[in-house]
Amino acid sequence: MALLLSGSKRWVIPFTFVCLVLGSMLGIQVHTQRLRGATQVGRQTSALVGMLTRNEAQVQQQKQEIDQLRARLAEYEKEAASEKGLTRLMNEDLRAARIALGTVEVKGPGIELEIADSTMRTSDEFGAQDVYVIHDFDLLQIANELWCAGAEAISLNNQRLITGSAIACSARLIEVNGVTVANPFLFRAIGDKAKLVSALNIRDGVLDRLRVLQFPVKLTAKDDVVILPIAVAPKYEYARPVEKEAGK
Amino acid sequence: MIAIPFAGLVLGFLVVYRLLPPIPSRWADYVAIAIVAGLDAFAGAGRNWLERRFDEAIFISGFFVNMVLAALLAYVGDKLGVDLYLAVVVALGIRIFNNLGRARALLVSMRVEARKARAGASAE
Repeated sequence: MALLLSGSKRWVIPFTFVCLVLGSMLGIQVHTQRLRGATQVGRQTSALVGMLTRNEAQVQQQKQEIDQLRARLAEYEKEAASEKGLTRLMNEDLRAARIALGTVEVKGPGIELEIADSTMRTSDEFGAQDVYVIHDFDLLQIANELWCAGAEAISLNNQRLITGSAIACSARLIEVNGVTVANPFLFRAIGDKAKLVSALNIRDGVLDRLRVLQFPVKLTAKDDVVILPIAVAPKYEYARPVEKEAGK
Repeated sequence: MIAIPFAGLVLGFLVVYRLLPPIPSRWADYVAIAIVAGLDAFAGAGRNWLERRFDEAIFISGFFVNMVLAALLAYVGDKLGVDLYLAVVVALGIRIFNNLGRARALLVSMRVEARKARAGASAE
């Protein structure tokens, strides 16, 4: 010890101390980093998978609940329909409202429109492909045309479009009603067949634009289009009807 | 004599690696940058030592102060949303390379001179 402290060797003790500190920091860091690399990703993924399965189970359960509730509602309606007068009128209103809300399966004449990503490819260059895939706005435009032509019910890849249904792009996927839909896309719409077809085929309209870029487009008029109900009806948390006072 | 500090380095590493739990990963970046600052202090010390102007007070103060400063700068950068982290890494990286390069050049020139001296001695 005396040797360490004497003269020219004075540096050894502080140097050792510094080395100790640096060594322990390296120890901490390597330890943390190894765990980060090895298990954190794994842990996170498994946690996400767990969450997903739990959510899916929950969704399944809730869907069953919805089916049960709908069955019960149908019974009530049947009973109500058998009564006369006001209840009957109310029941008819209810039917229309439910079609508008998309909570019932509906059937009728209409169209089916199938579109898919373009068969045309310029190069393998990333980004250049953007022109040749279907975007959320293409689908939005089609849906809009259909509503304009008086469609009474529309579905996109079996997702019922109702008031409040958003067609949105999230990352490179398209979501409808919060559910991811993918290429190819299938629109079903119920309404005046001729009107719907001509609205879609309008010159310089959306289908014209897509056909030019060699997107496969298949538009067929049908007499029995079936449109599934929406999985979960929207809830109204904020909007309240305005009550008009009598006599005003 | 150099074995003692080296043993300290290994001991510190092993003790912490084996016995202590890992730190929260949001701190890991700051520790990492502090380590880079520490390495910089070592590179500087190595060069100064070769240049025969090593001073342990400068070395130790530089080691700790630079470590804290580097981590602090990275932290402030994170809070401000500016990647000061990168600035610190780049600055320290350049310094480490400079110091190691100087040290290497010194070592080489020392060897060359030693050989010359030996050649001169044998010629006489």
